[in-house]
Parts: sequence; structure tokens; C-alpha cells
Amino acid sequence: MRTRYILGALGISMVSSACPQAVDSVRSVSLSEVIVTESYRQAQSKRSTLTLDVLGQDFLNKHFTGNLVQTIGHIPGVHSMDIGAGFSKPMIRGLGFNRIAVSENGIKQEGQQWGADHGLEIDAFNVEEVQIRKGPASLLYGSDAMGGVIEILPPTTPAEELLWGEVSLLGKSVNGTLGGSLMLGLKKGAWFVKARLSEKHFGDYRVPTDTVVYLTQLMPVYGRKLKNTAGFERNAGFFASYKKKRYRSDYSVSNAYQKMGFFPGAHGIPDISRLQDDGNSRNIGLPHSWVNHFKASTHQQYAWDGMVLSGDFGYQLNHREEWSAFHTHYGAQPMPEKEPDKELVFRLHTLSGSLKLRIIRSSSWEHTLGWDVQGQENSIGGYSFLLPTYRRFTTGGFWLSTWRPDNRISISGGVRYDYGKTDITPYQDPYLEEYLREQGYPTDKIDAYKWRSYPVDRGFGDYSCSIGVVWNPSSMHLLKMNVGRSFRLPGANELASNGVHHGTFRHEQGDASLSSEHGWQLDASYEFTYRNIHLTLSPFASWFDNYIYLQPTGEWSALPHAGQIYRYTGARAVFLGSEANISIDILPSLNYRLSDEYVYTYNRDDHTALSFSPPASVRNVLTWHRKRWELYVECRNILSQNRIARNEASTPGANLLHLGGTVRLPMAGTEIECSFIAQNILNTRYYNHLSFYRKVEIPEPGRNIQLFIKIPIKRKLK
Amino acid sequence: MKTRLFISAICLLTGVFFSACDKDDKGDVTPPVIKLAEPEEGDELLIGDKHGVHLEMDLSDDVELKSYSINIHSNFDHHDHHGTTKAANETKAFSFNKVYDDANGKKNHHVHNHDIVIPANATPGDYHLMIYCTDAAKNETYIARNIKLSTTAKKHEH
Repeated sequence: MRTRYILGALGISMVSSACPQAVDSVRSVSLSEVIVTESYRQAQSKRSTLTLDVLGQDFLNKHFTGNLVQTIGHIPGVHSMDIGAGFSKPMIRGLGFNRIAVSENGIKQEGQQWGADHGLEIDAFNVEEVQIRKGPASLLYGSDAMGGVIEILPPTTPAEELLWGEVSLLGKSVNGTLGGSLMLGLKKGAWFVKARLSEKHFGDYRVPTDTVVYLTQLMPVYGRKLKNTAGFERNAGFFASYKKKRYRSDYSVSNAYQKMGFFPGAHGIPDISRLQDDGNSRNIGLPHSWVNHFKASTHQQYAWDGMVLSGDFGYQLNHREEWSAFHTHYGAQPMPEKEPDKELVFRLHTLSGSLKLRIIRSSSWEHTLGWDVQGQENSIGGYSFLLPTYRRFTTGGFWLSTWRPDNRISISGGVRYDYGKTDITPYQDPYLEEYLREQGYPTDKIDAYKWRSYPVDRGFGDYSCSIGVVWNPSSMHLLKMNVGRSFRLPGANELASNGVHHGTFRHEQGDASLSSEHGWQLDASYEFTYRNIHLTLSPFASWFDNYIYLQPTGEWSALPHAGQIYRYTGARAVFLGSEANISIDILPSLNYRLSDEYVYTYNRDDHTALSFSPPASVRNVLTWHRKRWELYVECRNILSQNRIARNEASTPGANLLHLGGTVRLPMAGTEIECSFIAQNILNTRYYNHLSFYRKVEIPEPGRNIQLFIKIPIKRKLK
Repeated sequence: MKTRLFISAICLLTGVFFSACDKDDKGDVTPPVIKLAEPEEGDELLIGDKHGVHLEMDLSDDVELKSYSINIHSNFDHHDHHGTTKAANETKAFSFNKVYDDANGKKNHHVHNHDIVIPANATPGDYHLMIYCTDAAKNETYIARNIKLSTTAKKHEH
């Protein structure tokens, strides 16, 4: 019944689709004096032949949740894969994990790509502008960017000498979040410095249910709060920029720390004794994980007649630990004497460098030459084993040219070649060997299983290329087409892992003979602007001839707590889909926006969908704004996802109602910005097909009231 | 039906109509169903019972069953405390692991066996019973039961 109602509404919207204004997401106002408007966004959009979304302060404030990925999940085609209410990782058009690159200040973030229970380690308070490129971006960003790039841009330098600061406060009812951030900035002479400290604490999150069903067992949720999902985040960041004549350099140092508990019912066989309410909804017990991401980077740039030479250099340390009360299936394994509950540790050191030369000798030609190098070293610890110790080295060079015969058309094309080398240290598990011997397995089987990680030392080389056109015949139309070949080096887990993943409870086995993943991707986008109407359509299609996924093999595993073996295998895969966005200014102060998204995935070898295919969804937003006020009501319809891979559950759809508003209050010479959001007002019980907790049938957070206050302080320097 | 209508509306709206390129040879994604009648959740099983544990279940799949496996392993520490609760020397933690192929090719299969024989020297305590079942398309279902092994359990009448 409800669906039919929506259908009707959709129909109306299609008929009346004759009239929106600029999508609110695209206007971006940054700091006081620098007003970046739509034209900036359009100028940016015209520079890229890929579908590009530019998110400025307006958008980021309006949808601020303290979690950057959930904020950008408001963009059609972008999804957040959540681990409870706290942490999330991004997905673009059905591609996630290490098929998406996230870069901050020009350095590719290393850490979030791994397993389903890892989030993005970036301070959401510290983000001023984000650009999202949907589609194959491995030409510019290398191997991991085949699905798209989320680029967090460095802060904008104010035009005049200034001392300013900002206090931000965040509160959420669904999990008792309390967060705050303090920023101070100074612009003087050639220098611009900015420092920020942020902290966020949250408790167990509320779900609109009293029980969850896991493995046919009914598990209680005491007090409708999901036990041990509390967590906290502490971030610090420092940024400095020096600009003199033709030289510019940026320096950035940041540290992000996150700690979060895991719902004990989602770890292992359900056991009601572990779900008893401990009377404290803000403590973080076992199991939990914490991660510390340290990053230091610099950008150096020098410009001289028609040439710009720039370099980005960075070091990152991603240190993650998982703690879970010591447990083993192998009788021979003793409890460690020191820190017995430290289950898994990994320390990933990454050094990266890139050089870029832009040649703009004439108004019609622009060339960019680039060279990237990255080295990684991963070391491990803990009583359990998941990822091996490995070293990885990648390097790539590219050439990109753009031809603009006139103002209306530009054609860009380029090629890139990457070489990558992965050296994985083998790991033999003596306790597992002993266990298998006790179980009476034959020697050949024991020899095959005792390797928790195979020795792999392989090199991969592959090329990427792309050609695209941007056609802007008049201010009304903007058309883009891009076709590209992208590729990705197999990850260490895809090459060498062999054992039960403690998060998915599957025996996952790597294949050391995998070749690199590659595919052809075609995407287009059309923007139409006429008076008060703004329409965007962006269809895409991708073909992969070696899409690496975990394939069920039907072979029984000899390991405890494992059913059949899942092996990383390449398959022929297809992705098709589109995003659409219509914005209409019905009245000067009233705007209606409809955005929808759809992704179709198909595994041509298995004849099923691919796992983690995002469901189609539609957003209807009505926004009223006047002077200092803005209010909106949003109806989001998530369709059911019945196109699933083997051994994945289908997810029913949901209709959600959200409300929100912003007011700017002038006070003591400054303007305080207050944003209020009421999410899931009807407290609907629904599931996120992409959530880590989906397989445990844990619904998404219930009704949430959120308040976000931003107080800027500013003083001009004489 | 409604969903399909809805999706086609979206496709129309986006101006792109993708006729799926999969010639409708849909892969089977429906997992088999395990209906375990015995042992039940929380059952106590007698140590040293020579008849073996009475196991009864129905397996079914919409296309074709492939294989199933029965596994029992200890859960002394509830995967929760410190693994110091090692069994005393005179007893041995019981474990059972067996793969069966007699359901292969069938749509429905009734299982009744007494294969699980718990020797007299098995350590009493909490255990997990797990049953995994796969179909021909490699869809997998598994269920878990908390069981107890004890020397005083009632002998199962059969």
C-alpha cells in the first residue's frame, strides 16, 4: 500500500519535474570572505570528465553527523557501510573496500580498505570541502581508485590577515553522543596555520527491537540498547601553509584515534550469557577494537611560466588492535602471559611520494605528467592470526592531456602504467597443526592447512587509460562522457590468507596465482539547468573480466567453526546503474529535490548478483528557507534488495522520515550556526544491506535527535 | 511486483533502461533448510552412552542438496574467559567431525543416526553442536546448538 503511495508521489514528481534550482549540495560557502559559489562548482565539474560532486561547508554542516562517510552518503551513488552507529567506510556505485581511494590533502589514506569491520579514520570536524569522483579514477590515483575517489581538500587560505577560531558541539540521542571540536587559525604574511582538537564519546546505540535473530536463535536486546557498541574518538590535526610568489608549501600532521566495542552477539556462536545488561551503556568491554592513524604529509609546489611542478610526500602509520577474551580452538595453544586478551594487531607503515608537472603553455592545451611511488610494510601481533606480515611496493607513471578548442568543449585522455610488488611472509600455525593431527587428518591435509598464510612474492604490472569529453554547448546543458580501463593489484588477503575470518566466520582462502583485477568502465552525466530547474542524470556501466570476490567452493573446511571454504577467485562481472537528481524551486523560498540511485550487479560466471550490492533508493526533500532559517523534511525510500550473492541474505526495504533545520543566530558580533536533525522520526525498524551487523539481523539505529552548534570567532589583524 | 514497477519507474526517470544482460539464467541463491529435531537446544548428552547420540533432522533444498557435516566442539570457556580451564588429565575434550554425502542430488533428506558416540573419558561440560548443509549451487546453511555433556544425563529412549 505504502509503496503504491510512493509510486504515485514519484509519478507526480516526474510530471512536475520541470523546475528545480541548484542542488543545495553544490553551493559552497567557505569561511567569511571567500565566497565560493555555484560557478566554482561548475568550473570544477567542467574540469573533470568523470561525474564529480563538490561538497562544501554548507552541505557538510547541514548533514553533519560526526561521521564523514554517513554525511557523504547523502550523495546519490555513495553509500556508507556501517559498523554500528559509530564507524563507516564508503562505497561508490557498488564498489567498496580497496576499490575506493580516499585522499586527504593529496595523500591516499591507508587503513580503511581492509575488512568489513574497519572504518574510515578521519576527523569529520576537520573537513572543509570534499570532492567525490564516481567512476574509474585509477588513471590519476593509481590501483585502488577503480571505483572512485573521495578527495578531502586542504583548507582554503583566507584572503586577508586574520585570527579566527571555531567551537563545535555535537549531541545525539540515539547513542548519547557528546562531541566537541576546537579550532584555531591564523593567517599572517605568507603563513597560514590551523590547528584542531576533536573528541567524541558515544554509548550503546538504541535499536527499535527487543530481540535479534541470529543463527535461528532469538537473542535478547536488553533495554533496546545494543550491548557494548559504545566508543570514542579523539583527533588532533595541524595544518600550515606558506605561500610566497610562485612557491607554495603545505604541511599537515594529524592523528586519529578510535575505540569501539563490538556487539558480543556478533562474535562467534550466539551465547545469551554474554548479552546480559551490565548496567552501563557507556563502557567499552570485550570484544573491542581500537585504531590509531598517524599521518604527516607535505605538499610542495612551484609555478613558472606555464608550468606547475608539485610534489606530495607523506608517511602514515595505521595501528589497529582487536581485543577479545582469550579463546582458542586448539588445545595446545597456551594463553599469552602478557596481555592475554590481545587478539589481533596490525601496524601498517606507508611511505608515499608523488611528483606532478602541469604544462599550460596555451589556452587550448594542458598536459599533466605524474609519477607516484608507495611503499608499505605490515607487521602483526596478537594470539590470533588474520593478515600476514607483508611488504608492498607500487610505482606508476601517467600522462594526461586536455584539449580545449573553445570554451564549450574539452577532450581529455591519458594513459598510466603501474607496477606493484607484494612480498608476503608465510606463517605456519603450530597449534593448528597439532589440532589437525589430534583430529586424525592425513599428513597431506595437515600440510595444506597449517599454512595460515602462503609465501607469495609476486610482481604485477598493468595499464590504465581513459578518454572523455566535456561538452557545455550553453549554460543550460553540460554533457560528459568518459570511457576508461582501470585495474587493481590483488591485496595481501586476496593472495595469501587461509583461515577463518573472525568477523565473517568463513574460512577465507587466498589464491597466490590471482592476476590483477581489471575492467572497462563507461560513464556519462548530463546536467540541465533552466531557470529554477536543475536536473542531473549520471548513468554508468562497467565490465570486469577478472573481478576478485570470495567464491564459495563447496569444499568442507577442516577448521573448527567453518563450513565450506571461500576462495578469492576472479569472475566476469557487470555493474550497471544510474543516479538522478532533480531540484525545483517551487517558490523563491521553497525547494523540492528528488534524487534516486540504482545499481545492478551481475556475476557472469555464477549467474547471481555480487555481494554488497546497494539497494535502490529514492530521496524526496522539501526545503524551506528564509533569511536565517532553513527547514527541511525528507522522505527516504529504500527498496528491498533481493538481488543477492550466494550465502548473503536479502534485505527488506523501508520508508524513513527525517526532519531538519538550520538557523544562524547573530550574537556578540559573530554568527552562531545551529543545526537540528531528527532522523527516523517514526522509529522504523529497518536494515542496512551493507552493514556489518546485517548478518546478525541487527536493525539500524532508531529515532535520533541531533543538535550541532558551531560558534565561529574572528578577528582581523591590523 | 510492486518493487519491479518501482524499479522500472526509476529507470524511466533516469532515462536509462537497462535490460539485464543475463538471459534470465538466474543462479540459485536460496540456501537449504535444516530442521533439527534432536538434539534440542540445551540438551544434556550422556557420556559413555554406547548407543550414540540420537540425531534426527530434515534437510531440504529448492533445487538439489549436496552435502552436510556434523561438528561438536567444546565451549568450556564460552569463548569468553581465559583458556585456563583446561581439561583435567584423566578426561579428554570431546570433538566430532564428520561429512556426509548421502543427501547428494536429493531435494529432501531425512537424517536419523547414532553416529556420535561419546567415549567414557570425555570431559563433561558445555559444547557446541553445529550442522552445516550445502546445496548443489554452494549455498550454505548452518545452525548451532548449545549442548552439555554429562555423566548423569538421562539415557535417550528410542
